[in-house]
Amino acid sequence: MADMQGRILRQDFLGGLAVIGVAALAYWLARKLPASAAGGMGPGALPKGLAVLLGGLGILLLLNAFKGERLARWSVRGPLFVLGALLLFGLTVRPLGLALAGPILIAAAGFASSEVRWRETLIYGLVMTAFCVGLFKFALGLPIPLAPWLLGY
Amino acid sequence: MELLSNLALGFATALSPMNLFLGFVGCLVGTLIGVLPGVGPIATIAMLMPLTLKVDPTGALIMLAGIYYGAQYGGSTTAILVNMPGESSSVVTCLDGYQMARRGQAGTALATAALASFFAGTCATVLVAAVSLPLSSLALKFGPAEYFSLMVLGLIGAVVLAHGSLLKAIAMILVGLLLGIVGTDVNSGVARFDFGIPELSDGIGVVVVAMGMFGFSEIILNLESTERRELITTRLKGLWFTREQFRRAAPAVLRGTALGSVLGVLPGGGAMLSSFASYSVEKKLSRDPSQFGKGAIEGVAGPEAANNAGAQTSFIPLLTLGIPENAVMAMMVGAMTIHNIQPGPQVMTSNPGLFWGLIASMWVGNLMLVVLNLPLIGIWIKLLTVPYRLLYPAILLFCAIGVYTVNNTSFDVMQTAFFGLLGVLVAKLECEPAPLLLGFVLGPMMEENLRRALLLSRGDPTVFATRPISAGLLAAAILLVLIIALPNMRKRREEAFQEA
Repeated sequence: MADMQGRILRQDFLGGLAVIGVAALAYWLARKLPASAAGGMGPGALPKGLAVLLGGLGILLLLNAFKGERLARWSVRGPLFVLGALLLFGLTVRPLGLALAGPILIAAAGFASSEVRWRETLIYGLVMTAFCVGLFKFALGLPIPLAPWLLGY
Repeated sequence: MELLSNLALGFATALSPMNLFLGFVGCLVGTLIGVLPGVGPIATIAMLMPLTLKVDPTGALIMLAGIYYGAQYGGSTTAILVNMPGESSSVVTCLDGYQMARRGQAGTALATAALASFFAGTCATVLVAAVSLPLSSLALKFGPAEYFSLMVLGLIGAVVLAHGSLLKAIAMILVGLLLGIVGTDVNSGVARFDFGIPELSDGIGVVVVAMGMFGFSEIILNLESTERRELITTRLKGLWFTREQFRRAAPAVLRGTALGSVLGVLPGGGAMLSSFASYSVEKKLSRDPSQFGKGAIEGVAGPEAANNAGAQTSFIPLLTLGIPENAVMAMMVGAMTIHNIQPGPQVMTSNPGLFWGLIASMWVGNLMLVVLNLPLIGIWIKLLTVPYRLLYPAILLFCAIGVYTVNNTSFDVMQTAFFGLLGVLVAKLECEPAPLLLGFVLGPMMEENLRRALLLSRGDPTVFATRPISAGLLAAAILLVLIIALPNMRKRREEAFQEA
C-alpha cells in the first residue's frame, strides 16, 4: 500500500495520467471530424493521429513512473491569487474600465505574497494604475476603456 | 557587392531617429528584465507588444529584438554581482563570475562579460547578414514537402536539446501541436476543438500561451521561493583587466562566439544552450579545470560570448525560412503576425528595409549596450533592492493590459490565467514549456504544408522521401532520433546538462 501511494505521488505517474486525459479529450472532441477528404487529408486526420500518439506516450510515462521523482510540495496561495487577479481584471476591464480594474488586479494579486501589507498595496495599486492610464491610454492612445460608468469611454 | 549595399540599406533604416530610439528602448528594457530575476524575455516581449502596435513593423521588430539580446547583457550583471541568474542563459555566468566578484574583481568580470558579448554580437551580425541571402534563395525553392520535413527536423531537434526527460519533451510538443489545432480549419472551414466558444474560432494567440506559460507561471513559482538577495559589492573599481587575464579570456571568447553562432541556428537552440555548452567546452579545454567555479575568467568570457552569439543567430531560421526555432522566436512570429507580415524567405525581397534594418539594428544595439551597460550598473543594482512583493503586481498589471490591447478582448486575459495554471502544472511535473510553445506555433504550419504536399502528390506519401531536399532533412531527423536512442549518447546528453 505504501508503495502504491508513493507511486501515485510521483511526477511521472501524475504526468502520465494527465497526458492520457488530454489525449482522450482530444480524440473525443475530434471524433466527428472526417479523417480523409476529397484529394487528401481531412480536418480530423491530424487531431486523431496526435491524440493516439500522445495517449501512447502517456502509457509509457506511467510505466516509467517507478523511477521518477516525487511531486514537490506546492502552495495554493500563489496560483489562486495571481490567476484570480487576472480573471477579475478580465471580468471588470470592460464594464468598469481600467481605472477600477487596475487597482482591483493589484490588490488581489498582492495577497499572493505572504508579505502583503494592506495600505501599501492599495496606494500602490492606485499609483500604478494612474501610471498605466497615462502611458497606455493617453501617451499611446490604446483603445482600452478607462471608466465607462463615469466618463462614457 | 550586394551584401554591402544591403547592409547600407540596413544601417540607413536602423539609424533613422525613430528606429534608433525604439532600439534603445528595447535594449534598455531588455537589460532591465535581464537584471531582474523572475521576468524572462518571452513575458517581456508579450508585455511590450501593445507598445509596438503604434509603430511600423520595422521599428516594432527592432525593439523586440533588442529585448532579447539586451537581456543577455543584463542577465550577466545580476549573475556576477548577486550570484543570481537574471536570465536562464546566465546561469553558468554565476559559477565563475560571482567568484571573481568575491575576490574583488567584479569590475573585471563585468567588463569581460560586456566586451565578450559585444565581440560575439558583432561577429553574429556579420554572420546573419552573410548567411541569410543564400539561405533565403534556397528556401524559395522549398515546396510544401520540404517545409514539412524541415519542421519535423526542427521539432525533433527541440526534443533532443530540451532539458530533462525525452518522453516528457515529446509529450509537450504533442500537446502544443494539439493546442495549435484549436480554431477553424483553413481547408474545410470546420471548427475544431473550439468547445463551442466563438472566441476560440480564430485559434489561440501566441501571446496568450506565452504570457501564461512563461510569464505568469514564473511569477507564481517565484512567490514560492523566498530567496534573499545579497549584494556582493555596490562599488566598482578596476574595470580593466591584466595582460594575463586578457590572454586567457581572448581564446575563450573566440570559441564561445563560434560555438554560440552554430548552436543558435539549431532548432531548440539559442542563448541558453550556447552558454551551457561553452562552459563545458572551456572546462574541458582548460589546462587547470580545478580553477573553474573558483573565478576562472574563461568561465565568464566563453559563455557570455556564446549566449549573445546564440541569441542573434537564432534569428537566421526565422528570417530566412520563416520558422521559429525557440520560444523567443515564436514570440517574434506572433509580433510579425500582428503587423500582418508573414515570416519567410519572401520578407527579404518584399520588405528589404525591415529585413536588413533588423540585422543592422542588432549591431547598433550591441554597441549601445556595451556603452550604456557599464555606467548604468549602479542603477541596475538599486533596482534589485526593490522587493518582489512590489514588483510582481506591477508586472501582472502591465501584462494584463498588454494582452487585452493586442485584440481588445477580455477573453484573452482570462485565457492567460488558464495557461498560467497550465504552466505551473507543467513546471511541477518537471516538464519544459518551451517545446510546447514551439509545437503550438509550428503545428498549423506543419499541417498546412503536409496537406498541401499530399494534395500535390495526389495522396502519395512517398513524396517526402523522393524529393531530395526533403529526404535529406528527414534523414537528418531520423539520425537525430537514432543518436539519442543510443544508451551511450543518452548518458552523455544527461551529463552535458548536469555539468552546467
